Amino acid sequence: MNEMPYPPASHVIDAAQQGLAWMNRYTDPEPGEALRGLLAGYCGVPRQQLVLSPGSDVLLREVIHSFSHGRKVITASPSFFPTVQTARQFAPESLSIRLSPPDFDLNLELLLGVLDSPSLLIIDNPNNPTGAMLLDQHTVSAILEQSETLLVIDEAYYEFSGLTFAAMVPDHARLLVIRTMDKAFSLAGARIGYGVAGEAFLDDLSLFGAFLPQASLRAALAALEQPGYMRENVRRVVEERRQVGQALARLGVRVYPSCTNFLLVRTEAADLAARLSEAGVLVSEVSNQLPRGFLRITIGTPEENDTFVAALARELSDRSP
Amino acid sequence: MARSIGLIVNPVAGMGGSVGLKGTDGAMYHKALELGAEPVTPARTGDFLAHIQHIEDVSLLVAPGKMGAWHMDGSAIRFEIIGETGQATSAQDTKRLAGEMLDRGIDLLIFVGGDGTARDICDAVDQRLPVVGVPAGVKVFSSVFAVSPRAAAEMVDAFVEGTRVTEQEVLDIDEAAFREDRLASRLYGYLLVPEVRRFLQAGKAASNISKSATQSKQEIAAYVVEEMDPGTLYLLGPGTTLRSITDKMALTKTLLGVDAVHAGYTVGRDVNEGDMLSLFERYRRREIIVTPIGGNGFILGRGSKQFTPEVLRRVGSDKVRVVATCAKVSQLECLRVDTGDAALDDMFRGYIEVTVGYREKMLMEVRC
Repeated sequence: MNEMPYPPASHVIDAAQQGLAWMNRYTDPEPGEALRGLLAGYCGVPRQQLVLSPGSDVLLREVIHSFSHGRKVITASPSFFPTVQTARQFAPESLSIRLSPPDFDLNLELLLGVLDSPSLLIIDNPNNPTGAMLLDQHTVSAILEQSETLLVIDEAYYEFSGLTFAAMVPDHARLLVIRTMDKAFSLAGARIGYGVAGEAFLDDLSLFGAFLPQASLRAALAALEQPGYMRENVRRVVEERRQVGQALARLGVRVYPSCTNFLLVRTEAADLAARLSEAGVLVSEVSNQLPRGFLRITIGTPEENDTFVAALARELSDRSP
Repeated sequence: MARSIGLIVNPVAGMGGSVGLKGTDGAMYHKALELGAEPVTPARTGDFLAHIQHIEDVSLLVAPGKMGAWHMDGSAIRFEIIGETGQATSAQDTKRLAGEMLDRGIDLLIFVGGDGTARDICDAVDQRLPVVGVPAGVKVFSSVFAVSPRAAAEMVDAFVEGTRVTEQEVLDIDEAAFREDRLASRLYGYLLVPEVRRFLQAGKAASNISKSATQSKQEIAAYVVEEMDPGTLYLLGPGTTLRSITDKMALTKTLLGVDAVHAGYTVGRDVNEGDMLSLFERYRRREIIVTPIGGNGFILGRGSKQFTPEVLRRVGSDKVRVVATCAKVSQLECLRVDTGDAALDDMFRGYIEVTVGYREKMLMEVRC
């Protein structure tokens, strides 16, 4: 699930506990409004463009429900899987663009060629599960020049990649940037997603996050008030990602460059996920979107990573002739 | 009542891998032995047997010696030995034993081996009963195989619990070409395999829409038929996805051949190049519909040699439609063509639309 291995800071847990005392009540609008204000500041956009959601995946689903009629929903393949599932299940018409190894890059010329009719284009950037960046400034600008395209960028891993297009939203009505506090902020269980929405999206999404639990709202407020804890954890994960990548490469595993808190790897051992699971290490077998042999590895604590690398080394050596 | 399940192990499967040979077909088995190759099937078979959960609900009918019985040591599953083999085993043993097990009324046949073994099983039982392929060979490209011995055990459990079966491809891999790092394969046939629904990412992904292969093909067929033009001649390539289209039209289909359809009627069955060129005299608008071969992604040139360069040029590269289930394309890095005509191959290079569901398409790269 690509969660942050480090728990929330103690003051965040305290804040969540205070929120629990209000569980007999429906949500008070005040903390939600306060959170919108803090998140708007964090993103550098006006507060009125900030929408809240119980998880970014829920917001992505809502966008597909609300904006796919009369539009072709376009995604990359592979992509964040709930988005793929929702598009397949609910979009009247869908098109995915296959990203091929080894680069998994998105062909801009091809993409612009399919934006000739009303489209809802949803791109996760960085991509999940490849970890690769698919969009840059030039690409986003070129897409937004297509007058019939709504562009949704899923930046769930923004804090790890450092690249965001949120600042473009105030000048581009057809752009929506979706983010989450699940990953970098250690709040996966709180389900705080949010979007920085252009004018074309705002009317349909502005009331969407009105019913977030008090405990989640207060935890998110506390986490945002002291973002240094998050930044330090992100730094640790990025450093661990580098070290795990090097260790895997030494074991002969193909490791793909990542801008996230996970690594996509490829081995010849097709049933590795099951064997690692028996050793107490859970990795994601992404065979619902990529050929057998690809695995997505979430970066954990140094101790967890050591356990994983050792287990993998054992499995691979057991297979050697 | 316990389900009766047959077990046949190809004892030489996979031995070429550890000594750098790409298969043990024919004389290569003896070369593998000279190079000191060790059997790999005992570990694979043992792993498979150890992970069957419904051991009380199955009763095995196993081949003798190293083709089955020897692997039962330590297993708690009830078994009975059937048939005879000599010291040296062969493809003929596999076929004969499979036939004997079929005659004994088994419900499911498990085979441990590679693509060559799958072809032998295909010859022996065709689609008269479901099978589970435990991968142990050097060449395991056919989609009849489970991803691992443990996954094969899961398939057996699913079968015991009562899952549906689906047709999966058996490929004929050219071992000589494979040794030269060329993947030359053709569609050999189909076997029935228990279908294990892949439960896509649990938890957060609340909308769990795992579709069966049959459902996916029906959706593709519904969309293709809806879009058909009554004035166009459709040449439908081999495969079960294409057969789902004729099923939708209430027509029958040659599974491994090319059939021609026009205005809702079959106008040619199992047609060859000459037949197609003759049909072109009558039908000016033409379209070819094909599905990629699982595992290697060939849409033209392998498995459908009937679509010769002459036929393809007369139809036009823009009139070739590709259909495939999401499950199949997810296992492909790209699509491939190898028509034997490099200039023609170049016309397909780039991206092509693949119909993967009802009003659902994927753009995939075609490599030559």
